[in-house]
Amino acid sequence: MALVELRNVSKTYPGPAGSSPVVAIDDVTLEVDAGDVYGIIGYSGAGKSTLVRLVNALEPATSGSIEVDGREITVMSERELRRMRLGIGMIFQQFNLFNSKTVRANVAYPLTVAGRPKAEIGARVDELLDFVGLADKARNHPDQLSGGQKQRVGIARALATSPQLLLADEATSALDPETTHEVLELLKRVNREFGVTIIVITHEMDVIQSIATKVAVMDRGRVIERGDVFDVFSDPQNPSSQRFVATVVKGIPSPVELAVLRERHEGRIATISFRDGDSSQASVFLELANAGVEFELVYGGINDIQGRAFGHLTLALRGPDAAIDAALARIAARVDVTEAR
Amino acid sequence: MDRLLELGSEFWVASAETLYMVALTLLFGGVAGLLIGIGLSTTRPGSLLSNRVVFNVLNVVINFFRPIPFIIFIAAVQPLSRLVIGTGIGNNALIFALSLAASFAIARIVEQNLLTVSPGVIEAAKSMGAGPLRILRTVVIPEALGPLILGYTFVLVAIVDMTAVAGFIGGGGLGNFALVYGYRQFEPAVTWAAVLLIVVFVQVVQFLGNWLARKVLRR
Repeated sequence: MALVELRNVSKTYPGPAGSSPVVAIDDVTLEVDAGDVYGIIGYSGAGKSTLVRLVNALEPATSGSIEVDGREITVMSERELRRMRLGIGMIFQQFNLFNSKTVRANVAYPLTVAGRPKAEIGARVDELLDFVGLADKARNHPDQLSGGQKQRVGIARALATSPQLLLADEATSALDPETTHEVLELLKRVNREFGVTIIVITHEMDVIQSIATKVAVMDRGRVIERGDVFDVFSDPQNPSSQRFVATVVKGIPSPVELAVLRERHEGRIATISFRDGDSSQASVFLELANAGVEFELVYGGINDIQGRAFGHLTLALRGPDAAIDAALARIAARVDVTEAR
Repeated sequence: MDRLLELGSEFWVASAETLYMVALTLLFGGVAGLLIGIGLSTTRPGSLLSNRVVFNVLNVVINFFRPIPFIIFIAAVQPLSRLVIGTGIGNNALIFALSLAASFAIARIVEQNLLTVSPGVIEAAKSMGAGPLRILRTVVIPEALGPLILGYTFVLVAIVDMTAVAGFIGGGGLGNFALVYGYRQFEPAVTWAAVLLIVVFVQVVQFLGNWLARKVLRR
């Protein structure tokens, strides 16, 4: 069942005086199912931060319909929106912790807003700080913590009211790779152990690769491609998606890369693309060997996304042309083969 | 020096008057300035309670009164002072004029300090379902408290300075004491005694302000 459903949503800002309005979100339709970790990727300015703020109505949509947990939020009053936001947690690139409050008071804040009794708040805060591994920092202030610790406080605070949905706005973009990994692992646990649906906004494809189950690619306010992460990664359709995928997956070599490969390797160059469930690498290599074709792996790799493998292997092939043609034809019957001309 | 000893009791009365004027001005002007400053920073376009009309009115009113030299301002608000507190002269009339002038200056300082609170932190509070008044009370003011204390300390020192002209409308205080008994009677020792006490007073205020701000900012 869809927990978040956007239908033909647009968001327009009035432009500077005298110029035309700025379209931040352009006719976006998107469904996020309960339990998903849904990645939204795009370059800065693509509109992804605006999009996520439409979901908790920090920004009102200009047109279209937004349903969260079956309730239309575009028609809600300010008071109703505030109550609705208690059920949606949010974490930020710059953490946005309250520096004037202790770690404990930061995590307690949303519970106070929700009007929970004091005793309950105390117990819940202990539980949350335990979960994020910061029980010993309860009395510290945020400026005494490292970036990773700050984001963990942010996560504890966002989860305080036990929301169904967590919005992560570039939550790891200010962190180093090691800390990024820690925070992503924590988010995975949040999704697994509490069943919290997570919408992850990022410009880094490896964030999507490591935690998302579904992905939407945004460009200039539009969703240009969406689907299962495996499908988008193994076979991106849109040029912009292909560029993102290329940042983490070595695919078919570009003309520049091909020139370098040709300089270094003799023979014909072909890329063989594997997808989960396709014929195995072993059978491909066996085919080449049986045909008496000498081959060398010169570019590419095999990737693992949620336990499913895919990848592109570029080979330099040497041998009689007829033998190579015959072998490639037999291989092409089972997997995609692209020969560089 | 002998003259100063003769004036002993007047000196202490003048000191008490200065403290009285400073304390009440800080109270009235401080509260009014805080409210106007909060009004300015929250009605600014894009803020918590953005309201262009209220913001523009406050902004224009403050910009109108702020540049008026204080000694002229005292004379100009005399009719208003008579209307509101029943007198246009003396220490209380000075407190009235000074509170009015100080509240505009304080409003600007409060506005500036509240604007330094990161919009992201305010957005985070909003995302948790907090309303504008709660955010103002539990996030914006606590986050800006350190700089606010330093701002008020700065204003307090300026208020001490401004009470020195109380004599102009028949008020007392150390400024008047220094002028009447020191300057006009060619008694530099008397003037310097008043100066010294004011310097000590300002130092104490600044020290306390810094200490308090440091405690709040935990630095």
